[in-house]
Amino acid sequence: MSTVAAGFERARGIVPRPRGVWGFVLRRVLLGLLTLFLVSIVVFAATQTLPGDAARAFLGRNATPESLATLRKQLHLNEPVVSQYLHWLGGIFRGDLGNSLTGSQQPVTSVIGARIENSGVLMLIAAVISVPLSIALGAIAARRRDGVFDHTTSIVLLALAALPEFVTAILLVVLLGTSLFHFLPPVSLIPPGGHPWNYPKELVLPVIALVFAVTPYIARIMRASMIEVLESDYVEMARLKGLREQTVLWRHALPNGIAPAIQVIALNLAYLAGGIVVVEFVFAYPGIGRAFVGAVHNRDLPTVQALGILIAAAYVFLNVAADVATILVSPRLRTSLK
Amino acid sequence: MREDELDRIDEEARQRGISREELLKRAAVAGLALAGSGGLAQIARAGIAATPKRGGQFRVGVAGGSSSDIIDGQDIVTNPDQARLMAGFETLVGFDKNFKLKFNGLAEELSPNKKGDVWTIRVRHGIEFHNGKTLGAEDVIYSLHRLIDPKLKLFGGAALSSVNPHGMKKLDKRTVRLHLKHPDATILDALGQYVAGIVPVGYSPHAIGKAKPNVGTGPYKLKSFTPGQQSVHVRNPNYWRHGQPYFDGVVIIDFPDDTARVNALLGGQVDAITNIPPAQVGIVNGRSGRKVLESPTAQWTPLCMRVDTAPFNDARVRKAMRLIADRPQMVKQALSGHGHVGNDMYAPFDTAYDHALPQRHQDIAQAKSLLKAAGQTHLTVDLQSTNGALGMNEGAQVFAQQARAAGVKVNVKILDSGTFYGAQYLKWPFSTDFWGTRNYLSQVAAGSIPTSPYNETHWPDAADRKFLTLYREALRTINRKKRYEIEHEMMKLEYDHGGYIIWGFSNFLDGYNTKLRGLVPGWKGVMQLNNFGSGFRTFWFG
Repeated sequence: MSTVAAGFERARGIVPRPRGVWGFVLRRVLLGLLTLFLVSIVVFAATQTLPGDAARAFLGRNATPESLATLRKQLHLNEPVVSQYLHWLGGIFRGDLGNSLTGSQQPVTSVIGARIENSGVLMLIAAVISVPLSIALGAIAARRRDGVFDHTTSIVLLALAALPEFVTAILLVVLLGTSLFHFLPPVSLIPPGGHPWNYPKELVLPVIALVFAVTPYIARIMRASMIEVLESDYVEMARLKGLREQTVLWRHALPNGIAPAIQVIALNLAYLAGGIVVVEFVFAYPGIGRAFVGAVHNRDLPTVQALGILIAAAYVFLNVAADVATILVSPRLRTSLK
Repeated sequence: MREDELDRIDEEARQRGISREELLKRAAVAGLALAGSGGLAQIARAGIAATPKRGGQFRVGVAGGSSSDIIDGQDIVTNPDQARLMAGFETLVGFDKNFKLKFNGLAEELSPNKKGDVWTIRVRHGIEFHNGKTLGAEDVIYSLHRLIDPKLKLFGGAALSSVNPHGMKKLDKRTVRLHLKHPDATILDALGQYVAGIVPVGYSPHAIGKAKPNVGTGPYKLKSFTPGQQSVHVRNPNYWRHGQPYFDGVVIIDFPDDTARVNALLGGQVDAITNIPPAQVGIVNGRSGRKVLESPTAQWTPLCMRVDTAPFNDARVRKAMRLIADRPQMVKQALSGHGHVGNDMYAPFDTAYDHALPQRHQDIAQAKSLLKAAGQTHLTVDLQSTNGALGMNEGAQVFAQQARAAGVKVNVKILDSGTFYGAQYLKWPFSTDFWGTRNYLSQVAAGSIPTSPYNETHWPDAADRKFLTLYREALRTINRKKRYEIEHEMMKLEYDHGGYIIWGFSNFLDGYNTKLRGLVPGWKGVMQLNNFGSGFRTFWFG
């Protein structure tokens, strides 16, 4: 036991360990890459190597010996598993995700390229609205703890958190699109080649649905952490010094209260990458979510694998970013790295 | 005009080598009292009642669709592919709203010799493809070659197995002589199926980037296409049918999700949709300006018993299973009542269909005694199914409940489609499946003889040559009356001893905005929305 520990100590001595904030960032990025590598193994194993013939699953009723043989060759199914995996992994680094099995067999990158833009815009707008909104809601609720505002937001946010996003999405459609009012399009038909920002009306309902999905969690954690901060000594001190309450809240309390919320924000934004599947399906929004559902339905392996790794990459990226942001906003953690 | 009159006119037209319309026109000009029942007046009235208007962009939401969408004049993969094919491509002959063959397509003549093994095809004069090429004999020959090319495995090829690839001869610019491998009375059905589109010489939709445009002779030209999303079509200015089509353009949008599709119709983002879930029919009909179009089909989701495998190799067991089914209840529960009761016989739209076969009813007592005689009093069977079409899983589950009354335990196994259509497909002793609308002999070729690509029941019994002999005889019999007699004999064999439990036929439930005109209720179509308005040329905005 002690020899092992000593070995680590020696190794640390030999390999200069990057220190400071940048060292920390570097380590997190490397860990993130390791995670992605492991995820790629899982994605590959879950799609291509599980029992059952991937080629037969895709062809279904149309399977003939010739078409099976062609497809197995295209997917390298006749090679050993490890070489199949390396082939696929190598392709990712070359920007070659293989060809979609369906229709005109276009490269996966061109099939999902426009979809990524559409989903990215949707997520970005949802994030830009929901993050400041939930931070503000949480901070104000903490400040007016047990007041009318606090209770009202608590109940509303709890209710929203309890509803799955497809339920809120359908309620929104019924309310604003089809039954009660008719001023918003119930489905988001963005024609191919069109950019989502040119169709603002079509974006409203999906954005609201996504904002409703993530705001409650962030706001609630924000409220809890702000309550703690507002009761701390230094806030008391600031108040005693006679600072305006607004200044105390936004300038002094918020930066410390936000640190725990950053992790939750990152998790929720990452959740957006997955939750978007459901919302896009309800609104027929042409993004990666619908592409993912369609690809799984068609057993279009290369597309499923590409989107799986893409969504995993979004998760990893957001988590790394959250770790780094947490360090940067909390002076205590920042200095401890020195 | 009554159906038999139309038949008579068609028959006469064929003998004279002209189309029915032309014969009617000539008759009208000559002042002949051809339509004694006032049929012409009726046609004239219908024409006055609805004067189509030009213009507008028609947007239709079609169920299904994904990145596997294709556009091909002779092939489909998904449901929206059918709509896109109809917009751009046409066949030599077609089917009318009663699913009767009509000489209303690209061929002005399609007639057999006495024996039925040599057919003469002459296409109409002056029809142009979208790229300006004039339709000629060489295009027909190319299209037929492409359809039966075993390498391409096109959807419409199976029905044309009698076509001899070396037996096509160009007689003149517009005429082809077609030598068949054997006489074939079903060749008109096969050429009339929507996937037998006529394409220009050299056609190949998958040749991306090459100078081979995706063109047909249809009412709309293709402007853009993104698989899994939508396609845009514009009016073909040189279309050969006078005055048609009426829209400036058509947008065909994929809608895999039922809720989104219905919402798009309610919200006014599309003008029509296909496949309204039965539960939402009331919602659509209850909205002002929206309506549901219900059309009968000959689509069926049978329960298939393998006639060569225990316990179903005993004809008594098969009959008992058929007597277990309470068909009206199955239609009511599995199809929410939007369908018609079946009688263990397919092809109800075929004029050859034998309506004299007594309707089979549930008879638990007789089923029990048959099972007892077969020594299967406590029969337990697995029934494999998958979510392939509305009615497959639902029908299986309702049947399993009904079987309990006869002491039969049916274990419904719902598999994912990869497993269902995997190595065991067509080998399951007891399974569900689904079939589209076909005429009797075409369906026999597709599913009821040993050479059929999808014979789930392994019918007919290997020892019994009678059914096959009758089938070959029917194919050779060009005379309709004689052929129907043979077909009735075949139907009787299947009705008495076959392996299908055909409990019902589902209806198409489509939705439309009431500003859309030209829709015909009760159209016996192969596809939704009146066969997609025969390529969106019969609809217009009022």
